[in-house]
Amino acid sequence: MNTVTLQSDGALAQREQAIEADPLVFLNHQVELDRGYTLRSFFKMIERYPVFGKLNEFLPECLQQYRSCPDGECVAPEVGHLELYKTVEMMGFPGEPRLEIYPTLCGVQGSDSCEIKAFPLEQLLDMPVRIGKLKHVVFGDTVDVLEFDTVFNLFEFIEGIVWQLSFHRNPQACALRR
Amino acid sequence: MFTKLLFATTASPVCDNAAKVAFDLEMKWEAKLIIFHVLGVPGRGFNLQVTDVRTGEREDISQDYADWVKEELRNTYGTLLEDSNAEIVTAIGDPAREVLRIARKEDVDMILMGAHTREEDIGATRHRAIAGSTMRKVAKAARCPVVIVNRPCTTCWRLFSNIVVGTDFSKASTSAFLWAYKLAREVGATLHIFHAVDIAAQGFAQPSGQNAIEQKIKESRRRIEQTYLTKMKGYGQFSVEVWEGIPYVEILKFARDRQADLIVMAHHAREVDPEHAELGSTVEQVVLRAACPVASVNHPDKVADLV
Repeated sequence: MNTVTLQSDGALAQREQAIEADPLVFLNHQVELDRGYTLRSFFKMIERYPVFGKLNEFLPECLQQYRSCPDGECVAPEVGHLELYKTVEMMGFPGEPRLEIYPTLCGVQGSDSCEIKAFPLEQLLDMPVRIGKLKHVVFGDTVDVLEFDTVFNLFEFIEGIVWQLSFHRNPQACALRR
Repeated sequence: MFTKLLFATTASPVCDNAAKVAFDLEMKWEAKLIIFHVLGVPGRGFNLQVTDVRTGEREDISQDYADWVKEELRNTYGTLLEDSNAEIVTAIGDPAREVLRIARKEDVDMILMGAHTREEDIGATRHRAIAGSTMRKVAKAARCPVVIVNRPCTTCWRLFSNIVVGTDFSKASTSAFLWAYKLAREVGATLHIFHAVDIAAQGFAQPSGQNAIEQKIKESRRRIEQTYLTKMKGYGQFSVEVWEGIPYVEILKFARDRQADLIVMAHHAREVDPEHAELGSTVEQVVLRAACPVASVNHPDKVADLV
């Protein structure tokens, strides 16, 4: 599979050469993350290649939120890094058999993963982003989950992250106001 | 405004946020709170077993079992029940039908629920029904407002300062507006009346569409003034906003911008026969992502005094 490297300054690169034209061509390329890649690098990429902004209806608003965040030290102390992993879930016994495949962005601290929905973007931007494994859940058994190495293409990577970020609507807002 | 409230719960952690709002409302409005739990779905024919809604296990139904579940509910909401006079009621049957049945029988002013039956991975919500099927059925058929609490809500209702009502000018939207207005007037909140011109549905993506969009925005504004502002009888704390875009994205953006404490919407998006209406995708998407509770209002029953 063709590979594209996502650099921490937001550029897409192939053979260490930054790509300037036609970024859409790389949507089906396997993603490799540069050392020091953070969520901020992700937004730098969207700013550098504005055409990616059309891939998800929430991306323009996420970008707006990103622009209003501080330039550094946007980290959540409770989270070590962010991980994008895939789940393949086999369901439907008893009932209609179904197979679902979906990406999830979560926080990881040590060996534990955690939900990041409660963190506003200004606590996540400078968190390192890593590609995780594929988790295979069979008939709802979330204890004995099988794990495999996997790859993400650029489209899945962008979509997976933005889907998660569309849930980050700063729930503390009303508490802070009181 | 609220004298009787129904909190429909599975007693699982997904209902915890809704529980806090329900108990808070009971105290603030000195209302009667009914905590309602459906024990299970009965088996076919004559038998004494039910399928537990939460575990899927078959259970022998008896007074002992019902008492045990009530005790479990008391333990689950132990701290919240300390200062409460809530009544715990259980029933056997299809959860949505039983919730609607008790809501009608008790003539409650509002139903409070969590969005899901069980915790879902965020990624999985894309594939599965975004809103739990019970919530969907209740929101569709309830005569009273249904408030869905999907996130922690830290504001008590008496202190609400911003209520956003999203309208598509349907009949149900008028009920939603009237209910939101009644609540805003009661608690002294600012009512933000919002409409999103759906550019995807109207084919405004064409290059020549900009003028048409602006025309539509002006038209919608005029319609809000004629339809809603005339009903407000001198209440001055309001704003009117019309944006263009994808309705659920725009409502969420607007609610965030105004730091909304509550979003009020009609259950189904357009003039649809309620018998055939599924929960509008706009409401579903808003419920899922909103930082504040979302009220689905479908019928004029609880705003009859304003009509």
